[in-house]
Amino acid sequence: MLIDHTHRRWFFVSVAGLAVATAVYIPYSLHSPQGPRGGSPLGLTYGIAGFLFMLFVGLLGARKKVPVWRVGRAQSWMRGHLWLGLLSFPLILFHGGFHFGGPLTRMLMWLFIFVWVSGILGAALQHFMPRFQTAQLPMETIYEQIDRVRGQLAEEAGQLVEETCSTLEGEVSRASDRQRAMSASAGTQGGLTVASGLQANRQVSTQLRQFLDDEMLPYLERPGAHAMSLSNEAQAQAMFQRFRVLLPSELHSNLDDLENICEEKRQLDKQNQLHKILHGWLLVHIPLSYALLLLGAVHAVVALKF
Amino acid sequence: MLRRTRTTKKLAKRIDLQYFAHPHPFRSWRFWLSLAVPLLATAWFVAQRAHGGQKVYSSGQLSRAHAVFTQQCTLCHIAKAGSFTAPVTDKACLACHDAPLHHANQAFTPECATCHVEHKGAMLLQATADAACTQCHSQLRTRDGPPHFASSISGFDKKHPESSPLRSGMVDPGGVRLNHYLHLQPNLTGPNNTRVQMTCDDCHRAADGGVWPYEAEMHPVALNDLNPNRPHGKAYIPVPEFAKHCAACHTLQFDKRFGNEQVPHDKPETVHAFLLKRFGEYIAAHPDGVHEVNPSDRLLPERVRVLRVARNAAEWVQFRVADAEWLLYAKTCKQCHMLTPTNSPLPEVAKSNLTARWLSHSEFDHHAHRMMSCTACHTGAPASRETADVLLPGIQTCQQCHRPQGPSKEAAEGRCFECHQYHDWTKAKPTKGEFTIQQLRGDAKTPVPSG
Repeated sequence: MLIDHTHRRWFFVSVAGLAVATAVYIPYSLHSPQGPRGGSPLGLTYGIAGFLFMLFVGLLGARKKVPVWRVGRAQSWMRGHLWLGLLSFPLILFHGGFHFGGPLTRMLMWLFIFVWVSGILGAALQHFMPRFQTAQLPMETIYEQIDRVRGQLAEEAGQLVEETCSTLEGEVSRASDRQRAMSASAGTQGGLTVASGLQANRQVSTQLRQFLDDEMLPYLERPGAHAMSLSNEAQAQAMFQRFRVLLPSELHSNLDDLENICEEKRQLDKQNQLHKILHGWLLVHIPLSYALLLLGAVHAVVALKF
Repeated sequence: MLRRTRTTKKLAKRIDLQYFAHPHPFRSWRFWLSLAVPLLATAWFVAQRAHGGQKVYSSGQLSRAHAVFTQQCTLCHIAKAGSFTAPVTDKACLACHDAPLHHANQAFTPECATCHVEHKGAMLLQATADAACTQCHSQLRTRDGPPHFASSISGFDKKHPESSPLRSGMVDPGGVRLNHYLHLQPNLTGPNNTRVQMTCDDCHRAADGGVWPYEAEMHPVALNDLNPNRPHGKAYIPVPEFAKHCAACHTLQFDKRFGNEQVPHDKPETVHAFLLKRFGEYIAAHPDGVHEVNPSDRLLPERVRVLRVARNAAEWVQFRVADAEWLLYAKTCKQCHMLTPTNSPLPEVAKSNLTARWLSHSEFDHHAHRMMSCTACHTGAPASRETADVLLPGIQTCQQCHRPQGPSKEAAEGRCFECHQYHDWTKAKPTKGEFTIQQLRGDAKTPVPSG
């Protein structure tokens, strides 16, 4: 999510909320005979406010699961998630007087720290990375479809190679017996003779198929495959350049397409990596959030008792 | 020339439009982790509950004194029958501690837990915050008129008054003449006519302050009443006692016939009885002594003496007792005591009235200050010549080391509790314990009080 000027209102409201909470906390902390405590009226107020924010923030998941709920715009929920989640942490710190307390509250605080920090990291990633991704990966696709697209690329590459080889071999088949005989007896004056040219085309065709089987298909079919030569743009260019020398110029467009397929695969791999970074924090953020809310509810009930 | 093109139509054809309906490893991971982590958290909580009892609910480590009760919240958090909540009430504290009131006329009585804050770590519960005291003492009110004490104290460094003896210009009420300056001079005549340089702790030492340097020269009344195992508490330095601190130098001989024998350091009546007895015994053992003429005694001050010859033993005893008492009351006793003539032959000796505790509203521990020289605080002592001098250090002396911020600011503890007690422990009543070990340790339930 882009954090832009449309967040201004949330930002100011959050800063104002934090300022008020801090302004109340400082004299409360300095003058309270017992020091700041979660069980004091003010401490409880901070705790309840913080927990309510956490609950609201946690409801984003439910809101996403049931998008047909017409309870505010998804964008508003996301902004609320971001800013109220950010604000809930200092409120909980004020609630506990910056103490982590006993086993349960200590566990809650650590969970909260991980959730909060991972959330901030996630927000930062979501802000910066999509633009970077768009700029760097023009061939990106839907993340979940990368495997499928990779298969399509392999298929497309196979067709292109087959088409190219057929063209090359078609030239050989079109040569007459006389031509073949002439070429067999002729020398190499004035460049390639028909015979040597025909022979060369067959070799190129074989090499191209071999290249497809040994290099391209394994590279295209395997996710990542960073150890392979084609994963490196410069090496890939060199390999295709070799075929450009061997192939007639009218077939160079086929090579360009093949090279483009490899480039797309490289971008898909890069997209895969970036996606893991862009969304990997959710594997920490979401499960720990559920644990936090669960134990937080236990803490709330127990705190009411004691 | 590139023939591959990326039109929207082409790209759309590559996509399975139902892709979101199919499981994907990332979403699967997210789902299973979202189940597993809360389950793990629940398992952790159940394990904590199983092994640590109610400790898992604790909002922080208990104080040192209560740490043993960590697994039994209900010792202090007492829920009434049928009630869900279980706040800490004074009743729980008073079950073990009878903590008397501060003052009978105090305007309000805070709950125990207001000042003695638990769950703040392994600290001392009496280490209360200054705010617990200043919530009243910064604007002191009483229920029966204006307060008798300083009424706007906000901390040790904020409007804390000077100690009352110094503030009121009080003089030392002691009835014993003592010249500190003289006693600290070099080459004083000490026990057995040795030369001594006295120091402060020759006379002023805590009850557990070890062996007195001149003990060997003293009467065997010495320090046999002291317990060497006594812990270093907030002991006041006892007032000097004649037998322990003075007798080695200030001897009480009364007659040459008895060598170094001394009269008891007691009331004049007791001394008189002692003299009668000793001279009676002497003359009984030496009947010829009745007619001896006593030479003029140059030791007796201001004495214009008529030589008296006794006619019998009883008269001899009477004369000798009179001589001895003259020596004692005109010279020996008078050196330190204030004597007032009375209608009887014996003088009245003013009570020593030495003050052991000068700061009646606060406590002081000399032992905690043992690394300092006495004169570091009692700066006026070496030059003091008058009994009436009050040699207490002023509050500014204390404030050089003690500050409210305490150890956190590289200073000695300066919060109120360091010197002042809230509870008037002289009014404490004994309490009767009712818990079993199992109940205290969390192995058995504590009884729920009714009502």
